[in-house]
Amino acid sequence: MQIETDDPAIQSDAYIDALLDGHARLPIGLPLMAPPAGVRRVVRLLEQGLPRFHPSFLFEEQLAAQLRAAAAQSAGTGSDVLPVIDRRLLVGGAFASGVSIAGAFLAWRRRHV
Amino acid sequence: MERARCDPPAFERLYRKYVAQVYNFALYELRDRHAAEDVTAQVFLRALAGLPRFREQAEPPESSFRTWLFQIARNTISNEHRRARRHPASPLDLAFDHPAPTDVQLAALVRAEVARAWEAIERLPADRRRALVLRFVNEMSTREIGQVLGRSEGATRVLIHRSLQAVARELGRADRVRPRLPRRRAN
Repeated sequence: MQIETDDPAIQSDAYIDALLDGHARLPIGLPLMAPPAGVRRVVRLLEQGLPRFHPSFLFEEQLAAQLRAAAAQSAGTGSDVLPVIDRRLLVGGAFASGVSIAGAFLAWRRRHV
Repeated sequence: MERARCDPPAFERLYRKYVAQVYNFALYELRDRHAAEDVTAQVFLRALAGLPRFREQAEPPESSFRTWLFQIARNTISNEHRRARRHPASPLDLAFDHPAPTDVQLAALVRAEVARAWEAIERLPADRRRALVLRFVNEMSTREIGQVLGRSEGATRVLIHRSLQAVARELGRADRVRPRLPRRRAN
């Protein structure tokens, strides 16, 4: 969309939209009235240089499982109350299972040595 | 969206679509991967709980769900800020832990310039910084950002423009002290 305006905020907005359209593989139509060079430079830097992150696969899957469990629980009870996630419990659970595996291994060694 | 209210797999599809966006927003605010994961988890659990009360607005359903989700994220992040003030790393430090091996010199120059821009953004008030992150990282429209931040579309547009101007002024000042990124030659 070609925008012709004297409003610098609208010019900046249209310029950003045009560049972001390029991310979505849409045709880039830069506005007729571009913002000042300094603003264009910042827009280009932020558009290309700000990194995007993705959460870890493990976290994403664990949270998906928790959401499924919470949905099943609230469907069963008809309540909106959700279980509280506590990272310490996740870490503690992993630690506890590590300890129990180690304990089982030691017990097995004692029996077999 | 209507299906997601009573159909957990439909909600899971929305979760998969938006989890990285919410995580990014939280990570840019909190600068800590674990804190960002905690906030992301809280946001989706709250969204799941609040889904029956979520009202569609007269917009594309996905868009209004996204703004609603980010409103929850914004409130959750504010609570987290109040709870613990920790900013161990800049988001750029987190990203540049593993730089790409190609074109190392240019990448380093671009990185330095982006880092200077980010330093300027860090000095902006929270709403301005959030608006820029939502605009450039989450690629939200000005209208959506306005809904997340509780401002009109016009006010949000001006907020973003003034933030860009402020960063441009800072970079201009820095240019007088340090040389600017050279133009890349066309091959």
